[in-house]
Amino acid sequence: MSFFSIMSKVLNLSLIYASFRAATPIIYAALCASVTQQANILNIGTEGIMLIGAFTAVTVSYFTGSWILGVLCAMLAGVVIALIMAVGHIKFGADICGIGMGINMLALAITKFLLKAIYDVNGAFSSPQIKVIPKVSIPFLDNVPVIGTLLNNWSLTEWFAIILIIVLQFFIFKTVWGLRLRAVGQFPEAAKTAGIKVNAVKYRAMAISGLIGGLAGAHLSLGYSSQFIENMTSSRGFMGVAAMYFGGANPVKASIGCLLFGFADSIGARLQAYGLPSQFVLMMPYIVTIVVLAISMAAQLRSAKRRQSSLN
Amino acid sequence: MSEYVVEMKDIIKTFGQVQAVKNGQFNLRKGEIHSLIGENGAGKSTMMKLLYGMYPINSGEIIIKGERMGEITPMMAIERGIGMVHQEFMLVSELTVLENIILGFEPRKGLRLDLDKARADVRKYIEEYQMDVQLDKRISQISVGEAQRVEIIKTLMRGADVIILDEPTAVLTPQEAERLFEILENLKSSGKSIVFISHKLNEVMQISDRISVMRQGQYMGTVNKSETSPLDLTKRMIGREVFLNIEKDYGKVGEKILDVQDVWVSSNKETSKIRGMSLSVRAGEIVGVAGIDGNGQSELVEAITGLRKVEKGKVIVCGKDVTNKSVKVIRGAGMAHIPEDRNRMGLDRAMSIRDNLVTVRVDEAPFSKHGILQLSAQDAYSEQMVKEFDIRPTDYHLPTSSLSGGNAQKVVVAREVSMKKQLLIASQPTRGVDIGAIEQIRNTLEKAKKEGSGVLLVSAELEEIISLSDRIIVIHEGKITGEMMASEANENNLGLLMMGGAKGGAEHA
Repeated sequence: MSFFSIMSKVLNLSLIYASFRAATPIIYAALCASVTQQANILNIGTEGIMLIGAFTAVTVSYFTGSWILGVLCAMLAGVVIALIMAVGHIKFGADICGIGMGINMLALAITKFLLKAIYDVNGAFSSPQIKVIPKVSIPFLDNVPVIGTLLNNWSLTEWFAIILIIVLQFFIFKTVWGLRLRAVGQFPEAAKTAGIKVNAVKYRAMAISGLIGGLAGAHLSLGYSSQFIENMTSSRGFMGVAAMYFGGANPVKASIGCLLFGFADSIGARLQAYGLPSQFVLMMPYIVTIVVLAISMAAQLRSAKRRQSSLN
Repeated sequence: MSEYVVEMKDIIKTFGQVQAVKNGQFNLRKGEIHSLIGENGAGKSTMMKLLYGMYPINSGEIIIKGERMGEITPMMAIERGIGMVHQEFMLVSELTVLENIILGFEPRKGLRLDLDKARADVRKYIEEYQMDVQLDKRISQISVGEAQRVEIIKTLMRGADVIILDEPTAVLTPQEAERLFEILENLKSSGKSIVFISHKLNEVMQISDRISVMRQGQYMGTVNKSETSPLDLTKRMIGREVFLNIEKDYGKVGEKILDVQDVWVSSNKETSKIRGMSLSVRAGEIVGVAGIDGNGQSELVEAITGLRKVEKGKVIVCGKDVTNKSVKVIRGAGMAHIPEDRNRMGLDRAMSIRDNLVTVRVDEAPFSKHGILQLSAQDAYSEQMVKEFDIRPTDYHLPTSSLSGGNAQKVVVAREVSMKKQLLIASQPTRGVDIGAIEQIRNTLEKAKKEGSGVLLVSAELEEIISLSDRIIVIHEGKITGEMMASEANENNLGLLMMGGAKGGAEHA
């Protein structure tokens, strides 16, 4: 088969949705990290918050038969974890990266333990009793070419991801809350003298980040798939943090970075069918992460230099 | 209601074991400019930060407009009409001027920030007090003088009628300072009360109605401007008279210690910031470099001391070509360096006075042997330095971050001068330090010269350059515009050269 015929099979319309679909869990993670980053808190615990959210969502959905309760409880769990981090960091002055990594390890261990304790399984848990997040199907679109392929049968949380990006963008850059958040992140002393309660702003940012992180996990286990697998986040939280850096904590720009990950992910999966060794496919997301981070760090260094020279 | 808008009585404030304010007294009348003066570390900024609620007081009484205050937070101070312009600007550099001004009490329209209303509100103040600022520029894009006006507008927008300015002129050019004084006069005539913290007596004498003096945390009295003089204020500030004009002794000048030959250097943002500079320093002389800040002084010093790349030309120290050599090699050739910014380059603020004193020689005997620190030798040396240079507090185990500006600078000076190198580069050695320390640091430089060192002195204070130097070099936009003996220099002919004028300017003076 020629290169072009492979390419024409790989690069088709459904690749666009596949990329977006693969990107959504990372988009949620990136939004989770962006909110705290605006307050100058590096939420490296995104991965752990997500994993705990994913587990909570599956468990609550399994036992109650309600995906809504599953999602809500996942978000609640996310807030609890995020606030634990916030208290350690803000009140007791612990290093946020240390706490974040601690949370990540805890999440990995506790979900593994609970998987065994509750379901008596190792590795993965799936069941028809798990109610998943519904897909939005628009019947008349079935017959519309292009648009039908592109937009029909998205999961509810995939649509919500787009809404959330726009809402966060608006809140961070156009509202009082956002202005204060950015001021606190960039120069807390200035915010304090302006009469802003700096710590309250930080706690709030962490809580919102927890909500989004929990939702990210719920989407992963109930929307993106319909099961819980040990370490099922497989570094999507870290990729979200990388995308956050790429976008400078700007929700829209960070999400564009996530699409890059999603694209790399889904194109790799397709190429595998044509003989690309699976090891390369598995490597793909991490290689893209490194490339994206390298580019964004270089850009940041340049802008830091520019800022420095304008102060002199 | 009493005649005062603010009264502070018997204030005591301690930080850890340091007593910053021991007996603080202050009051402010409506519509006056009241200066609060004292040496660095005298407690004047602390007093005003207490009033603004930045820290709680240990004991004492604060009365704002007749209301006896318990605990004060910045928000409570703002609500009662107190505004403060801090020494370090409290502006977020990546936000716009407008966003900074409204931060903390933003007008809203529904969910959104109402920037149109904010703009209209700010315009009123800009027009009323003629404080031109560019509302849509980011803070990182505007000048220091403009940033200060932004700070003043911020306080006015919050309804302040008591405005505290903490050493506002320290960062300004003389022209910008004049501009600030006009604004302060405007504010005063519209009924605002102003607290002006400073240690520059000429400015205080220019704009104050009343002056309060503090020394080492103690209140030293309040005087009307018309009833005092700079000499009287100086005595109150430091408890004795000082003579800043050191007796000059034109000693014998020896061989060339530093030879800078046609040096070209780039700065962070401009290529060729320094364009072909040549100068030399001989043993036993002080050569002063005068110029308006930012005309290449910092780059020149950095090029000589190995901190910045020399694009073209040569730097020779004690006969050795050290162009673009490492700092260690240049120091080894006989250079010592008092850097312009003690906090960024001169000290490790987290480390102790002792560690900072020995840091450049820690690999030499007697401070270490075979790579092992000799702490008793370091202690003995620190003991001696603390005594000789009158560094306070005398406990050399304290971190340098706990020192006042003047004492921190003494640590740097002690370290660099005590090595008795042939070449001493002193960059802004007395910037931001109090009068007592200024006098002592100047005497130290003079002593180094008498003992045969060559000193290159860079300073923004013309008076310092004139009174210390033997020979003066004036630079403007990276070039030397003139050179003269200190005996023929005065503020006029130097000033002309600093503006880039021809050497002929000297004859007009």
